[in-house]
Amino acid sequence: MRTTQAPTSAAAESSTWRALSRVEIDLFVRSMMTAYEVVGVQKKHGRMTMDKVEDPSELLLEFPPQVHSPKKFLFPNWQKLFRFSLGGKVYLEADKAAVPRVIFGMHPCDLHAVQVLDDCLFEGEADSVYRSKREATLLIGVDCLPDEHCFCSSVGTDRTDSGFDLFFHRADEGYLVQSGSERGEALLRRHAPQVAKRDEEAPLPLQVKPCEHQLDFAVDALAPLLGDVYDHHLWKEIGERCLGCGACTLLCPTCYCFNVEDRMDDDLAGGERVRTWDSCQFDHFTRVAGGRDFRSDQADRQRHRFFRKYKYLWEKHERTACVGCGRCSRECLANIAPVNVLNRLFVEEASPELKALPANEYQPDMVEIIAVEDLTNQDKLFRLRLNTPIHFTPGMFVAISIFGLGEAPFTIASSSDDDMHVEIVVRAKGALTRALHRLQPGDSVGLRGPFGHGFQVEDFAGRDLLLVAGGLGLVTLRSLLLSLLADRQSFGTIQLLYGVRNMDHMLFQKELLEWHGSNQLDCRFAFKEPGNSWGVPTGDITHLFRNLDLQPQRTSVAVSGPAGMYRFINPLLLRMGVDEEALFLNLERHMKCGLGKCGKCRINDVCVCETGPIFPYSKVKHLKEAIER
Amino acid sequence: MKPRVGFFDFTGCEGCQLTILNLAEKLLDVLDLVEVVEFREVQGNCNEDLDIAFVEGSICRPDEEKRLRLIRTRSKKLITLGACADLAGINIAHEEAGGAELAMAVYGSDSKHLQGGQARPVSAIVPIDGRIPGCPVDGQEFLAILHALLLDRPTNLPAFSLCVECKLAELPCTFEQGIVCLGPVVRAGCNALCIEGGDRCRGCRGLVDNPRESSYHRVLETFNLSVDDILEEYRTYNLRIDEE
Amino acid sequence: MKVQVPYLSRIEGHAHLVVDTTAGEVVECQLEVVETPRFFEKLLVGRHYSEVAGLASRICGVCSHSHTLVSLMATERAFGMEVSDQVTSLRRLLMYGEILQSHLLHLYFMAVPDYLGVNSLLAMAQSRRDLVARALRLKKLGSDICEVIGGRPVHPVTTCVGGFHRFPEASELQRLRRHLSKALPDLEQTVELVAGLDWPDFSHQADCLALHDSDGYPQFGDTLISSAGLQVPNSCYREMIREYVVPHSTAKHARINDETYMVGPLARLRQGFHHLSPLAREVADLQGLSPSTNNPYLSQGARLVEVLHCVEQSMHLIDHLLLEGLKYEEPVVTCKAREGVATLEAPRGVLLHAYSYDKEGFLTSADCVIPTAQNLANLEMNLRARVPQIIDEEPDIFQSELEKLVRAYDPCLSCSTHLLTIDRL
Repeated sequence: MRTTQAPTSAAAESSTWRALSRVEIDLFVRSMMTAYEVVGVQKKHGRMTMDKVEDPSELLLEFPPQVHSPKKFLFPNWQKLFRFSLGGKVYLEADKAAVPRVIFGMHPCDLHAVQVLDDCLFEGEADSVYRSKREATLLIGVDCLPDEHCFCSSVGTDRTDSGFDLFFHRADEGYLVQSGSERGEALLRRHAPQVAKRDEEAPLPLQVKPCEHQLDFAVDALAPLLGDVYDHHLWKEIGERCLGCGACTLLCPTCYCFNVEDRMDDDLAGGERVRTWDSCQFDHFTRVAGGRDFRSDQADRQRHRFFRKYKYLWEKHERTACVGCGRCSRECLANIAPVNVLNRLFVEEASPELKALPANEYQPDMVEIIAVEDLTNQDKLFRLRLNTPIHFTPGMFVAISIFGLGEAPFTIASSSDDDMHVEIVVRAKGALTRALHRLQPGDSVGLRGPFGHGFQVEDFAGRDLLLVAGGLGLVTLRSLLLSLLADRQSFGTIQLLYGVRNMDHMLFQKELLEWHGSNQLDCRFAFKEPGNSWGVPTGDITHLFRNLDLQPQRTSVAVSGPAGMYRFINPLLLRMGVDEEALFLNLERHMKCGLGKCGKCRINDVCVCETGPIFPYSKVKHLKEAIER
Repeated sequence: MKPRVGFFDFTGCEGCQLTILNLAEKLLDVLDLVEVVEFREVQGNCNEDLDIAFVEGSICRPDEEKRLRLIRTRSKKLITLGACADLAGINIAHEEAGGAELAMAVYGSDSKHLQGGQARPVSAIVPIDGRIPGCPVDGQEFLAILHALLLDRPTNLPAFSLCVECKLAELPCTFEQGIVCLGPVVRAGCNALCIEGGDRCRGCRGLVDNPRESSYHRVLETFNLSVDDILEEYRTYNLRIDEE
Repeated sequence: MKVQVPYLSRIEGHAHLVVDTTAGEVVECQLEVVETPRFFEKLLVGRHYSEVAGLASRICGVCSHSHTLVSLMATERAFGMEVSDQVTSLRRLLMYGEILQSHLLHLYFMAVPDYLGVNSLLAMAQSRRDLVARALRLKKLGSDICEVIGGRPVHPVTTCVGGFHRFPEASELQRLRRHLSKALPDLEQTVELVAGLDWPDFSHQADCLALHDSDGYPQFGDTLISSAGLQVPNSCYREMIREYVVPHSTAKHARINDETYMVGPLARLRQGFHHLSPLAREVADLQGLSPSTNNPYLSQGARLVEVLHCVEQSMHLIDHLLLEGLKYEEPVVTCKAREGVATLEAPRGVLLHAYSYDKEGFLTSADCVIPTAQNLANLEMNLRARVPQIIDEEPDIFQSELEKLVRAYDPCLSCSTHLLTIDRL
């Protein structure tokens, strides 16, 4: 998607390097002054500024990055577009051609900035005024030393091998001039012939600048990062600090937004149409006739600036529109510095789940067991107290460690209301779970998480819920149920269908009785094996679907049970009219790392610990490994 | 028929009118475009109808108020000239001087003529059709406003702050030397003349339309200015802000 | 016969001319100054020394540089500071610019119209465009000097206690130098015009006060000299000059030894006639001016002489500055709790500021003696003496002769009405 490059910046096939002294540079400049207007950095009124050179010996080849950019020569603040006369016939006079000029003193960042301007101003209908200046101007680069505001190395603009006609490098004794184009070569031949005839020198390697200020991430990540942070509160903070003075955009070597107005001559008989620098930070920039302003908040304006430099233009031109020169942060009275802003956004937004312990994602947090309850003769409920609050949705899981034995995933059984505790149900089956059963309140275990993707409870608002639990699958649905009951009036009817082998395997018996007795939800139970004190009919869970009062179009269904259960429950539900998007399945696999890395929990190409274990049916129906055949 | 223009002055130093005369040869161009019917300092008084009246100076006394109202009734447009007319400017201090009591106490009833009265901007007495700020005004800005009036265009002043002009002129920011400057909240249009001259902005052009006061005060606080110090800064030219 | 001219035109500031004669006797003869008092001294009290001159400048637009410089000098005297020769030279140059700006404005726009029979020079923009253009060009000469040295023609920005924030570039001074020499043809024509005007014949002996300037023609100096023979250092001004309030004027009047007196071009001419530059001397001789000239109408002629003097002196001063080369100097200020008194010759005469400071550098009291305030009493005496001489003229000629007399003093009423001294009665 690279746009057409300006005709004059075609890099020479191979650069030639030659040595020369400062005295020879002065003579070169003096000779060029006969044919061109030479501009370069000099000391004027006690400060360094880029201006027309009158005396070559005053030209500075080493100057700090705070000198204002050469943008003012290629895209001046006040540019006449054309003249006109009034009175009778309006007569338009075209602007004259641009003055041939040499800019002697462009730092690599500023050379990159010209490329950005070319991208923007040559795109589509090329800007003829800019083009004429661009074609009439030769660019000569010089070395630089970054200061504490530069971050050119982060955006790759601290060095360049193209975009200039000549580049003067400091060498141990004197300078080395590198040619960058045919025009540059021609310039040497005409104005420094003895240098042009000299033997070639070995080229210097491309220098990487040592910048104190750096982005904490690769520049390619900028555009996507910004895509996620459009509504971040940081913009509001910046908007409150920003003075709206426009210094950032005025100093920026790639900013070119402008206003167009008519200026009259003193006799009011004619005038000029001119363009002047404008700024997205000013009031009136986006104001239309009638007074409406489409971007009146300073926070929005600053955000726009950032998005333009780091996202919109990057996406268009595959080139960073900010060249890391640091001019905006150096002179901002409110201390708004892009590097700080971007680094902060990256740290806060890039990976929210991992913000607890960066670079310690495998290390568990030690949490205390505060209660242990027997649910059945093989299942215990553990209540754990956390050290810092966690945010989770029902259906997510944590990884519990006993050092020496390992780590295993356990579904969170408690309500998402309580962010300082989790409850897990542990069935003693293997070494770790048997060891867990031996622990008492007061003991500590390791905890990582929460991991996975759970139920989006707010999506169920106003709907009826049907929860279908088989065996241990009730653990997941208990978490969901508690979360629903915490906000009961937001939901319609709730029905729980629980099928289990026998009463001895029944979890949460006390709670179930309470729920069954309350009018908050409707519970139905099924025991596979005969003989129970509750008078529950024998049969598997499918029996519970008989005479089920279901309005499928307003019901969301959550199914959680052994793998085999899904094979016959899903078709049943779908036949009853349940929508594929409203049917949620708890598909657990062997989750080990919880971070989507180890590969062990994959269902075809889907990673359970990242996108599950709660999946809408529509998302997994095509996965051949999802439902047991 | 050329538009009829008059220049009037009230309580002030007459520096703004002088600046208009300093336009030198450009004044001749102005004289080709308009007829100067009244200009007390270099012409005479008359009492006729005008198209545009330019008024310099603050209004302090009842007789000034009366004279101003008469000017307003006979002018199609009235434009204020300079900080005294625009903001009351420097003249406001003498309201605090307790002029009336002071003069009475020292000179007795003989001194009634020595009382000042509260200095007010012109817009506090009559509606105005435009303003040219500054102490004194900028001659080029006067011309631009005059041209706009003659071309029937809106007489818009820059809506951005002085910082823009400092940056365009590549002037080092006074804050870098630890010197507080009112530039960030003051209206541009003077080409940062005072900063160019080595001084700092004292706000003679008045606040910009939408000053970012709280952001600016935050900056001032980093320079260890107290709330009183900050309010003091605004006092010289009588810049009105919402006191926090 | 009663003459009442409200808001007298072609003077700086607001005043009504009131003359009432009955049966040949002068009943009333006053210049009622109605300019609003702005109580500048109160405004200055409590201000930091770095702000004082910027505020004092706003006392007057036409003599803003005079007020600025004398204010800075008063502060410097209070702090016991000396300034370099470079600074003094630049200040002299700034004052030349001010005098040129003021005198040429006055001569062309305020005085000459009376003698050409027109109400305003601007009215001649079509019929005598060359004359108006010349007037504006010459006025620009003065304002250009002020702009280069002071940063702006009205209310300077480069000046500060101890010197300047910003010094002019050599190229700017060279440009001024060229501008000055190119102005000579315009000046010749000005001399021809002004020297050829018909000044009314009137004489009135008055005490004249000027400064003693060790360098020559009065410009800067610390000694007040009156033609009657008094010589007083400016720090003792209160012993010499008595200012008082009059009921019909918001500007004060002044007397020395109970007599009215005069300051300004004629007073300076009397004091420094032999220090005039060659061209100025020629023009003085051409007009028949001498140290004993006592016709107040001839102040206009004296102004013309001073214009030539300032132009010539400016050229020499610029040459001197260019030869020496300008060096940036940073002023060093140490505050002291003392009083300082400074004087200089503003376009209209001796100007004095006296300040007291506390040791933190905040102003505690201020007093100013303004040229016009010193002239007003003498002006009224002149009017009284003149009236009988022209009592039989046609009313409009009678009025016009009196107006010309007021204008001859080039009164600056904004200046003279700004202050009221509280601490002395």
